[in-house]
Amino acid sequence: MIAGPTGMDLWQLLLTLAVAGSSDAFSGSEDSSGNPKFTKCRSPELETFSCHWTDGANHSLQSPGSVQMFYIRRDIQEWKECPDYVSAGENSCYFNSSYTSVWTPYCIKLTSNGGIVDHKCFSVEDIVQPDPPVGLNWTLLNISLTEIHADILVKWEPPPNTDVKMGWIILEYELHYKELNETQWKMMDPLLVTSVPMYSLRLDKEYEVRVRTRQRNTEKYGKFSEVLLITFPQMTPSACEEDFQFPWFLIIIFGILGLAVTLFLLIFSKQQRIKMLILPPVPVPKIKGIDPDLLKEGKLEEVNTILAIHDNYKHEFYNDDSWVEFIELDIDDPDEKTEGSDTDRLLSNDHEKSLSIFGAKDDDSGRTSCYEPDILETDFHVSDMCDGTSEAAQPQRLKGEADILCLDQKNQNNSPSNDAAPASQQPSVILVEENKPRPLLIGGTESTHQAVHTQLSNPSSLANIDFYAQVSDITPAGNVVLSPGQKNKTGNPQCDMHPEVVTPCQANFIMDNAYFCEVDAKKYISLAPHVEAESHVEPSFNQEDIYITTESLTTTAGRSGTAEHVPSSEIPVPDYTSIHIVQSPQGLVLNATALPLPDKEFLSSCGYVSTDQLNKIMP
Amino acid sequence: MKHTFYTFLKAFTGSRLLLLLVVSNLLLCQGVVSTPVCPNGAGNCQVSLRDLFDRAVMVSHYIHNLSSEMFNEFDKRYAQGKGFITMALNSCHTSSLPTPEDKEQAQQTHHEVLMSLILGLLRSWNDPLYHLVTEVRGMKGAPDAILSRAIEIEEENKRLLEGMEMIFGQVLPGAKETEPYPVWSGLPSLQTNDEDARYSAFYNLLHCLRRDSSKIDTYLKLLNCRIIYNNNC
Repeated sequence: MIAGPTGMDLWQLLLTLAVAGSSDAFSGSEDSSGNPKFTKCRSPELETFSCHWTDGANHSLQSPGSVQMFYIRRDIQEWKECPDYVSAGENSCYFNSSYTSVWTPYCIKLTSNGGIVDHKCFSVEDIVQPDPPVGLNWTLLNISLTEIHADILVKWEPPPNTDVKMGWIILEYELHYKELNETQWKMMDPLLVTSVPMYSLRLDKEYEVRVRTRQRNTEKYGKFSEVLLITFPQMTPSACEEDFQFPWFLIIIFGILGLAVTLFLLIFSKQQRIKMLILPPVPVPKIKGIDPDLLKEGKLEEVNTILAIHDNYKHEFYNDDSWVEFIELDIDDPDEKTEGSDTDRLLSNDHEKSLSIFGAKDDDSGRTSCYEPDILETDFHVSDMCDGTSEAAQPQRLKGEADILCLDQKNQNNSPSNDAAPASQQPSVILVEENKPRPLLIGGTESTHQAVHTQLSNPSSLANIDFYAQVSDITPAGNVVLSPGQKNKTGNPQCDMHPEVVTPCQANFIMDNAYFCEVDAKKYISLAPHVEAESHVEPSFNQEDIYITTESLTTTAGRSGTAEHVPSSEIPVPDYTSIHIVQSPQGLVLNATALPLPDKEFLSSCGYVSTDQLNKIMP
Repeated sequence: MKHTFYTFLKAFTGSRLLLLLVVSNLLLCQGVVSTPVCPNGAGNCQVSLRDLFDRAVMVSHYIHNLSSEMFNEFDKRYAQGKGFITMALNSCHTSSLPTPEDKEQAQQTHHEVLMSLILGLLRSWNDPLYHLVTEVRGMKGAPDAILSRAIEIEEENKRLLEGMEMIFGQVLPGAKETEPYPVWSGLPSLQTNDEDARYSAFYNLLHCLRRDSSKIDTYLKLLNCRIIYNNNC
């Protein structure tokens, strides 16, 4: 441009001054003189600018207010003093928009007491240094699924005095961030927008953010904004609140109600099947195959039958001693009692009945333990054979019956069947037998069985027959001959007065008194002739008709001349002892006769002891 | 179906695929700044004004960046310690243009005037930039940074001029734009043998270049925000 000479002179002056002071102004060397110096001139928005200077070290030497600043613009060819010393603070000069001309070179000088202490030249577009951005804040973008990281968006506003909307100034921003406990700031790339996302921030950490700005294409950044503290609140509680809380409480309540309603319906429903399925009845005590009502009201016989079928019941019974005889109780059956007396039973021809008497009503009868059922059968066979042959077999039969009975001493049975059994026609005969001689008795019993049976059967028709009959004689054949007296009464021509009657049924022995053992009986027989002389046919009724004496037995034995070879024994011949009375089924009381009492040997040989013997033995 | 698909893929393996990509890129990448918007010049271009302005702002910003860097580079290498404060004394050859000096003036200037001024500035710098490149190239020990930038600025300046002429044609259709622009006459000072004088001339030129690029940049952004964004950038 073309300027006047005065302008040129003025500018040359400025140039010299500038050259003179350029070194200090541009080189930045420190001021040793202590004069005021320009520190900085800046324009925050390209519309105004201000310059600042230091006060100087030795301002005390200078009067306050002596420092002046002047400026000059190329289009205004004169120095002018600072228009505003106040607005920009102390030691500053503020140029408002009217004094500001962009793209226009400025020169300023600082004078102190008239002396130039500093000067500077610049253009406004070169000293743009914006204010810090404002409104720095952040918002949450999202949180990771692991709730460890989060993304946020940091936003801010440009400095308010910058006219960005008009586009007068284009700003460039730079964001700094760091964790709270870190010291070094990290910076992001410059950006022209006023927001920036930050990714993968840890939720458990705190961050600091600050931002600064500068005019684009310039080098100098403005000051930093205020530091923003990013703190993530505890997300878990809020997350839990957002989550759907499973209503456990409601579910429990409704579940209980539903169950209650269901149970209620089931209990009171008429669907017995379902009810049985869900609520099965409690089983009552029960034995398989047995009706509990039967146990309460049923007949004992039936119960026993049923129980006997039951294995457990049987086993319990069999646990006991096999010697223990099973007693069949017929308590509840009065018909059986009246069915027939023992006498009838003995005299009756009812084999089966007798058999039934002797036999076991069931398989568990204890009687079978003492004798075999086949024995009975064989007896029957024999009896068939021997039927009507000899009545002498009666005592044998009786004896055999006694044997058959096999009553134990302790087992004082009350059964009427036992009453029917005794050989001596007592209600009960207690015999202690040995099993060994039993087989020997078989033959005898067989013969006697039938004989007696026959004998008895005949009188039974008369119905007045005495239960007991005195045996007068025993044939060698083993037949028992009853005493005539009694026979006369009975009117039984068959059996009496026939001592010689020889039954085809051989009896191996002559049964003596029923009280004596078989062994003894033999001995008696063998010694029969000895005694025979004394009383022959005399009825040996001592006292009563009910006695069965062995006298006849012995005599018959002597007469008959026993084929038996009786070994001599030193055992004194025991006389018969008659039964005095029958006190009870448990015992027999024998009369003590004049006959010498048997020795102790005798006593020992036989298991049975009379009361007299007892008295003698044990005074 | 699968077989045919695989055979189709096989056909595009390797170089064939690369070629396909390149061709597709060429077809799709017509909107890049480096390629001219309308190769035919002013006329029947269908590029939108917004895009024109966006590109213009980008180019002017680039030019301003380059010129600032170049000046700083030169100042660092050649002007330090020598006190070349020619910025205060020298005037740029474009100072005669009545460009607004502050924001209020700029706001009051009509966009037509502004665009004319921009065009005048751009046109007036064509010649100095050309000579600058020539002279820097001939300068002994000239750093490559300055030279490359000088070359780049010259090229971008031409581009920007073209864009501005297009913008002017769209914004002010039918207006004549043959305004006289300042002529640069500083070539002799660049070619003087006085090294200091020459360096001073360079310094001055680079300083003026930086200032005028800033003006252009500012005026364009102003026009962009005013015309395109309606003062709401």
